[in-house]
Amino acid sequence: MSTNGKVKVATMWLSGCSGCHMSLLDIDERILELVKHVDILFSPIVDIKVKDMPYVDVGIVEGCVNNTDQEHELKMLRERCKVLIALGDCAVTGNVPSLRNQFALKECLSRAYEQTESTKIACIPNDPIVPKLLPKAHPLQEIVKVDLHIPGCPPDADCIWFALTELLAGRIPQFNEKNMRYD
Amino acid sequence: MIAPKKISITINGQVCEGEQGQTILDIARANNIYIPTLCFLKGLTPWGGCRLCVVEIEGSPKVAPSCATPAVDGTKITTHSDRLVAMRKATLELLFSERNHICPMCQYNKGDCGLQHQGMIHGITGIRYPYLYPAMPIDLTAKYFGLDQNRCILCTRCIRACDEIEGVHTLDVGFRGSKNQIVVDMNTTFGKSETCTSCGACVVSCPTGSLFDKATAFRGQWTSCKQVFTTCTECPVGCGLMVHTKENRIVNVWGDPDSSVNKGHLCVKGRYETWAEPRDRITTPLVKGKPATWAEALAAVKKGAKVKKAEKALLLAPRVTNEVAAAAAKLGQVAMFVGANEAALCAEPKFSDSAMQKLQDADAIIVLGAQPSLDNGVVAARIRIAVRKTGAKLLIFHARKSDLDQYADVAANVVSLESKLWDKVKATLANTQRPAIVYGPNAMTPIGVTVMERLIGILETNAGSGEPLLLGLPRSRIVTGIPAVEEVGPWLDAKPLKFLHIVASDAPDGGASLLEEKHVPALLEQIECVVVQASYKSALTEKASVVLPATIWCEKSGTVTNLEGRQLPLRPVLPVAGEARDDKAILENVYA
Repeated sequence: MSTNGKVKVATMWLSGCSGCHMSLLDIDERILELVKHVDILFSPIVDIKVKDMPYVDVGIVEGCVNNTDQEHELKMLRERCKVLIALGDCAVTGNVPSLRNQFALKECLSRAYEQTESTKIACIPNDPIVPKLLPKAHPLQEIVKVDLHIPGCPPDADCIWFALTELLAGRIPQFNEKNMRYD
Repeated sequence: MIAPKKISITINGQVCEGEQGQTILDIARANNIYIPTLCFLKGLTPWGGCRLCVVEIEGSPKVAPSCATPAVDGTKITTHSDRLVAMRKATLELLFSERNHICPMCQYNKGDCGLQHQGMIHGITGIRYPYLYPAMPIDLTAKYFGLDQNRCILCTRCIRACDEIEGVHTLDVGFRGSKNQIVVDMNTTFGKSETCTSCGACVVSCPTGSLFDKATAFRGQWTSCKQVFTTCTECPVGCGLMVHTKENRIVNVWGDPDSSVNKGHLCVKGRYETWAEPRDRITTPLVKGKPATWAEALAAVKKGAKVKKAEKALLLAPRVTNEVAAAAAKLGQVAMFVGANEAALCAEPKFSDSAMQKLQDADAIIVLGAQPSLDNGVVAARIRIAVRKTGAKLLIFHARKSDLDQYADVAANVVSLESKLWDKVKATLANTQRPAIVYGPNAMTPIGVTVMERLIGILETNAGSGEPLLLGLPRSRIVTGIPAVEEVGPWLDAKPLKFLHIVASDAPDGGASLLEEKHVPALLEQIECVVVQASYKSALTEKASVVLPATIWCEKSGTVTNLEGRQLPLRPVLPVAGEARDDKAILENVYA
């Protein structure tokens, strides 16, 4: 895969709702401008799936780290990218997935698989293929070093566009109350 | 009085004038210099707890909280430096890490939340500390508001508002260290609290979404709402209201901070009961219980009214505006029905200019036959503050107990005339300079008048005591220009009535309970045509031949008179619901 000197990007979707990736797509026709400078090599929203995570310049991660699998993937991306961006509140603060942090993991699993009003067969999934949940959900920075946080649930498309164009111009994006949101 | 000494300080190189005793923040704000704050709220004692307002004072190695540091003449202040900004960011990051501040789940966004706003203006994207994710309780047992500890930053604004504005001190900080949290009474819930008056002062003072109005939840950010200033019509105090509306719905009701009557404070009646409580509204005319057009209803009323002048009468609830009262006064046999012993208080009040301010400044307050904590929450708040904060004496003469009794030097039944008690009253009132007497319906009884005369006698013998402030508090409202009747039954019975028009206006029960006490509903059955003009369904509207739908407080315009004798404006907040019409317009429709 030739990149023609473009900036190589990987995006990753951990415990999040995909809203941040949707917001990335909300940059609309500006994506044509973006791909002039950027090659997205690895992402849940590209058609070509690669087996091995490529080495890239920028890694963008949506969602927080909830299980062993996600922890492994995130650590791998950290090793293979130069700049890691936490995109959206789940990646930055833990957000909604972190609500379970107030309870013991056992309680959460029991409530979800054994006690719901629609439970017919009470059974907590235990197939070895299912990744193990971590005791707590973690924002990215608790697992790896994060270079840039973009808060928002989701961040506005304009906010993402601003961050990417600033980075492409070689600057660190400066956020304030006008170009970001927490909600 | 000596005028405070003028001082001058330099803030960020700008020379700012101020007065001795002002804090650095006071002077900065007066000169439009921005210093971020979270725990500071104008009108409350500075706390200096959030440490966002730190400033550097030249010559001092330490930073100082500007909200709690008195300005010293000639000092040089810096409000923004790399060091200060770094400190503020660290403080904010600690606040964000401490509880579960999950903005997407909270309605206090986009400018409503002080913490969020500060985070954004400081450019905080992520924080450097680990999130603690503590398991915090949520108290939803209060009727009108909730307390979500997850969003609390322990700024104590609610505690200070509860203590310094409402004066009940329901809220406080409990537990130790990182387990610090706001507690209600002795760590109970709002629902079980014995001291909470549900006034909502804590909710208004909360900078985050920790204390929130239930009825407001997710109706819109108040920063994007339309603001309408009007007057509360629930009692004779006449508090100024600042109503936030969005898309023709009330989002919340706050006190008007510029009103000299309530200075931004409200009681549960004005803040919540008028809109946050579901009520059965009447929005179409009813003829014999069935929906009808206005033309049909008015035809039925006019037909019923075709009787001799002596055979028809108009009864008004003390809920109407001055304009409606004036229009009604011109029509034949008119009376306003009021509760026991209320006639003089409602219809021939003795006004006292700026009485609410004088009440707070009083050094002795006598409550005689009135129940301010039940009927006039803002007056009760003023009394609590005067007693608790400025040490005013409090004497209560009332049959019913109230929370004010605990602060009283003397609390007795009105009928109590034993000499020991009066010796104590005399001793308590000795040397008081600015006495105030708050009197209600039970003071208008013969025994009440005797007690009042005695009290005034005692005050007159006091050397140096000024003229006592007399504050008459009817339970309903002050409406002048119409004769008030307490005994509605005999008043009706004395007339050969065939047509009766009752203007209940927006009384929640349509005045029904008051009239039921007088056994009026039974009397109504003997009258051929009973027209009830009301906003809400009640026992009266059920008995009426014709029901005419009237507007409610937030749809009315006109003026009301408060106990200070001021004419306060009503401004329409919402468009009129359904086919309801203004009380005055209806009277014109019927009698023109």
